[in-house]
Amino acid sequence: MEIVESKNTLAPFSELAKSYSQINEVNASSLIKKLGDFRFPTRRDEYWKYTPTRAVEKTNWQFSSDLPEELNLPASLGNGPRLVFINGNYSEKFSSQEGLPKLSSAEGSSVDELSSPFNPLADLNQLLPQKTYKLHLMKNEVVDQVVSIVHIFQGENIISQPYMEVVLEEGASLKLNEYHVHRGSSTFSNSFSRYQVGRNAELGLDLIQEGKGESFLHNQTIVNQDKDSRFTQNTFTLSGNWVRNNTIVNINGKNSEANLNGIYIPSEKEHVDNHTIIDHKVAHCESNELYRGVMMDKSTGVFNGKVFVRQDAQKTNAFQSNGNVLLSDFATINSKPELEIYADDVKCSHGSTTGQMDDEALFYLMSRGISERNSRILLVNAFAEDVLAEMVNDNLRGYVEKAIKEKLSGVSNGE
Amino acid sequence: MLNITNLHAEIEGKKIIKGLDLEVKPGEVHAIMGPNGSGKSTLASVLAGNEDFDVTDGSITFQGKDLLELGPDERSHLGLFLAFQYPVEIPGVSNINFLKAAINERREARGEEPITAKEFLQMVKDKASLVELDNKLTNRSVNEGFSGGEKKRNEIFQMAMLEPTLGILDETDSGLDIDALKIVANGVNTLRSKERSFIVVTHYQRLLDYIVPDFVHVLFDGKIVKSGDKSLALELEEKGYDWIKNEREKVSA
Repeated sequence: MEIVESKNTLAPFSELAKSYSQINEVNASSLIKKLGDFRFPTRRDEYWKYTPTRAVEKTNWQFSSDLPEELNLPASLGNGPRLVFINGNYSEKFSSQEGLPKLSSAEGSSVDELSSPFNPLADLNQLLPQKTYKLHLMKNEVVDQVVSIVHIFQGENIISQPYMEVVLEEGASLKLNEYHVHRGSSTFSNSFSRYQVGRNAELGLDLIQEGKGESFLHNQTIVNQDKDSRFTQNTFTLSGNWVRNNTIVNINGKNSEANLNGIYIPSEKEHVDNHTIIDHKVAHCESNELYRGVMMDKSTGVFNGKVFVRQDAQKTNAFQSNGNVLLSDFATINSKPELEIYADDVKCSHGSTTGQMDDEALFYLMSRGISERNSRILLVNAFAEDVLAEMVNDNLRGYVEKAIKEKLSGVSNGE
Repeated sequence: MLNITNLHAEIEGKKIIKGLDLEVKPGEVHAIMGPNGSGKSTLASVLAGNEDFDVTDGSITFQGKDLLELGPDERSHLGLFLAFQYPVEIPGVSNINFLKAAINERREARGEEPITAKEFLQMVKDKASLVELDNKLTNRSVNEGFSGGEKKRNEIFQMAMLEPTLGILDETDSGLDIDALKIVANGVNTLRSKERSFIVVTHYQRLLDYIVPDFVHVLFDGKIVKSGDKSLALELEEKGYDWIKNEREKVSA
């Protein structure tokens, strides 16, 4: 039995519940009661071993319904259909629904699938949900244009708990750009997305995360795949004071494919944690994971990739790779690939590498007249290239490359 | 153009170059020969600015500037080029893109306009044919999956693209078959001019049949112990490095 120190968790939550109840017109005291059993994870919880939550816990977060005058989004997002949320609130003014599949309100969904990994933050999203949305593609509905889902988090001590459901029925196809940007002085986004990929349906998603100021970003993704389906999620964590991504993919139908890729490039004291679970429940499926990290300054990073291959999941092909390059003597990465295989006729591999930048290559490039800064950028881009090549939507590739370049330039200036 | 005076260099505390003097004037080709471990490649690395080596004494001036004060990139901008003994494979960095970046950084350093796409492509075509480098190779990642000969030809191709005033060839002939050697030598000979000098570091005389040097220096135990014209290379080939060794031992005895 584990003895857990009891804590007074009521104080911050009474404020949070009050703030939530004012905006959502619900009874505060019943909310406080609902939150009674809630506790933040600590580093004694295996699932949270390398990601401290104290700073999230000790802030007095408030919900906000303020909308800004202007957005200033990257031009490369394009003019396609777009859903814009500010601090979790849908903004009709900034959205463009033309060419968009059906959007409806969704009921907050049950949290039973979360019972295996201990994730109270995902529970918190479900306990205090903001208005939730559902994108629903009907049978054989194919959306040609890339749909952007933009989340802007701003203000001081502002919490946002967006919940989104994307449902693709049989044969449907959708490409998504998700752009999550924290611009405020202190913001906490606790997002939850659920993707239902039906039979022979295809969903591709590029998720771009940026965090300025005291930003906290927790993103829970749950994917359920039917037979013959394909799902790809590419996560680009360009900045962020504290970032934790949990992606769980349940492969429930045969002959399906799941791809999870990511790039993270934390600097200064930024912390980025990617936890993935791919659960192969049935036979003849394939999963590929490629995460690459560029660690600068005193940044810390975590990669934990778990792949289950259940007893029935024969002929599974599961590949996982995590590579990290440390650009500083003070950066840390904790990389933990985990494979649990219960079937006997499968092909699975995982690998994790962590190293420094190749000095010989750096010297070679510099000897040709390329500055140290640009040589580093070339080498990091080459390292990131394998993931960039997987991008679903090319229109944001230039944006990601530029952000990487700028981040690396910052490092050279600091030297 | 290049003036090396009393150079001392070491790696991890091990002294490799122990008082080396060398002067190279415009248009000259100097061959540096010597047995393994005599410091030939160290000299090439030190000239290019490899930080693995510490220069503990002496000076190097190049084009009137103190070379040791400059980073490898700045040395390149001044017109120095090193053809590596072991060219590095850099997956994900395209040969063409990095060369374009290199040319433009140099142009920027010299206050010149960036090269136009058309100009650059024409240049690639011309210079690649100089060393019979396949188009496919110029577009691939730097040296990735290249054969030994292709890597060396790629070095000469890069040299031709960067048009240095001083080209240093670090054992460019090692591991080359005779056909590849001829191609490489032919490329170098085409680049010879009144303004452009070369330092050819080699273990074998064979290369010097094709790249005929103005001077031959024998490096032994970190110093130039003998200098002469191209006939010195032939004499070395005939008598072997033991000849030098024995002579040195006689002197010190």
